[in-house]
Amino acid sequence: MTSSSSGVALATQGLAKRYGSRVALDGLDLRVPEGVVYGFLGPNGAGKTTTMRILTGLIRPDAGQVELLGRPFGRRDRRRLFDVGALIESPAFYPFLSGRENLRALAATGAPVPATRVDELLELVNLRERAGDKVSGYSLGMKQRLGIAAALLSDPRLLLLDEPANGLDPAGIVGMRDTLRALAAAGKTVFVSSHILSEVQQLVDVVGIIARGRLVREGPVEDLLREAGSIRIRVAPDEVAGAAAALGPIAAGAAVTPGSGPEAGWLTVRIDPARGAEVNRTLAGAGIYASRLETGTTLEGLFLELTGSHPDVTDAAALGTDATAAPQATGWRS
Amino acid sequence: MAVVRLLVANLRKLVRRPASWVTLVLLLALLALIFVALIAAARTSPEPEAALGARLFVTFPGAYELVLTMILSIGGLLAVTYGAAIGGSEWGWGTLKAAVARGESRSRYTLLNYAAVAVFTWLGLLCAFVLGVVGAAAGAAFLGVGLAGMTDPDGLRELPELLGRAGLALAMNAAFGYAVATLARSQLAGIAVGVGLFFAEGIAGLFLPQVFQWFPFSASSAVTSPLSGAQVGGAGGGATVVTQLDPNTAVLAVTAWLVVALVVAAGFTERAEVGG
Repeated sequence: MTSSSSGVALATQGLAKRYGSRVALDGLDLRVPEGVVYGFLGPNGAGKTTTMRILTGLIRPDAGQVELLGRPFGRRDRRRLFDVGALIESPAFYPFLSGRENLRALAATGAPVPATRVDELLELVNLRERAGDKVSGYSLGMKQRLGIAAALLSDPRLLLLDEPANGLDPAGIVGMRDTLRALAAAGKTVFVSSHILSEVQQLVDVVGIIARGRLVREGPVEDLLREAGSIRIRVAPDEVAGAAAALGPIAAGAAVTPGSGPEAGWLTVRIDPARGAEVNRTLAGAGIYASRLETGTTLEGLFLELTGSHPDVTDAAALGTDATAAPQATGWRS
Repeated sequence: MAVVRLLVANLRKLVRRPASWVTLVLLLALLALIFVALIAAARTSPEPEAALGARLFVTFPGAYELVLTMILSIGGLLAVTYGAAIGGSEWGWGTLKAAVARGESRSRYTLLNYAAVAVFTWLGLLCAFVLGVVGAAAGAAFLGVGLAGMTDPDGLRELPELLGRAGLALAMNAAFGYAVATLARSQLAGIAVGVGLFFAEGIAGLFLPQVFQWFPFSASSAVTSPLSGAQVGGAGGGATVVTQLDPNTAVLAVTAWLVVALVVAAGFTERAEVGG
């Protein structure tokens, strides 16, 4: 595998894990560069938390290798975790202790922690005023913030966060995002798994998408979005064929897909969303004028496509509802 | 240094833990209740044997050992539940997960967590012993028994050894509950199984005393007992055999069980997959 001099904070090779007959990981190959925020995405049951547990020594893989901060990590290498901070699944605290006492108790484990660190972190996650209250009285968001503080106790070089935004209100999510970006800017590596794709899109530099225990796509988020980008144009129904023909040359082999049914009059062109002006100019040159033009793709669309996931949509026919109603909002920007 | 740091942190946790105080208060309350019942029975019962038995309980220096025997019988079960509660909660609340993810040694964490339990068990024993002695002295005053034996040199000389033996026995009971809860990964299951085994051993010992005298709870109740050998009695078709290890052999057996319980707890934690 790699050495620390190559700037890889976390790497796995052929990671496999099985629970009975169920395959949780099926040869996972990850490569997380140092100093980035890496978004680890996947549908439920894809293997994200299993991966996190292996990376923190909670469980052992059936096969494969792990490198943390350039050095092999195995059963006898628990001290590697002194430079790693983690929040795995739900944060774990003693309900009868206060937030401050919980952090102090945790600080007694693993790597030594300076005495002032606890209060610094409580300030960072905006829990200083409630630090003396028992954790049993904390909301989910407060526990999550305390969990992030716990992960930062040893000032780790690598941070592993499993659904860190869970339970946070919008202000908390923004605060978490700013904190994680600041940590990456300071040279730390942040490895985040999340289901909130819109939030991940704003936060991460690199994305790894896992499905059925394997990595299906990995790369800088901008590159992935550009590859999967689309432009949607609305024209008069009788001009769809003409518009498709006009756009064919600039699409350069990419799909130009006319819509049907509720999507009649819409054309979708799979090209870089930044070329919206060029598309508009091309249509105007052909005497066709679009009434609407929408650009971009969300990480959500790419995610659904790569993982083969389906949105959780009720079967309208089974309920006898009108299946020709207006399409659901897609989050596209006009 | 890391060991001291972790041990101190565990002790601080247990000070704040409600289970520590509930268990102690329960032990003290039950002990007090026994003395109250003893004295009341002695003063009101028409049976001369009842009065004689009560007077024996409050006559020093023998009262020291009898108080410890009472503490071992009540406190033994409470120590099992206390150990189970502390050990199992680390799995149930996920706090073991947090420590392991920080690179802490699993076995060291488990053993130092237990060490704090043992310290609190001994502190509970001391508190209960003090209360028991006060209760015995009060009982002696009520029943008109002299207190000269309280300062008997031979009795006082034996006290540290008796307290040490009782402390060892209670620590083993706590370790047993701790180990069971660790295997069950649950404080509730650990308490239930620990209590069940406690009573099951007692019942089984009625039928196979020669075998079960070696088992943990039977051995722990024998560490301070002056009785040894077997006593056979009964008429007709029935015979009752009461068999108990001699105190020194009981100490060895209890020590062995303590080691086994800790090895099981630490070994299991070292190898187990730690979930959320």
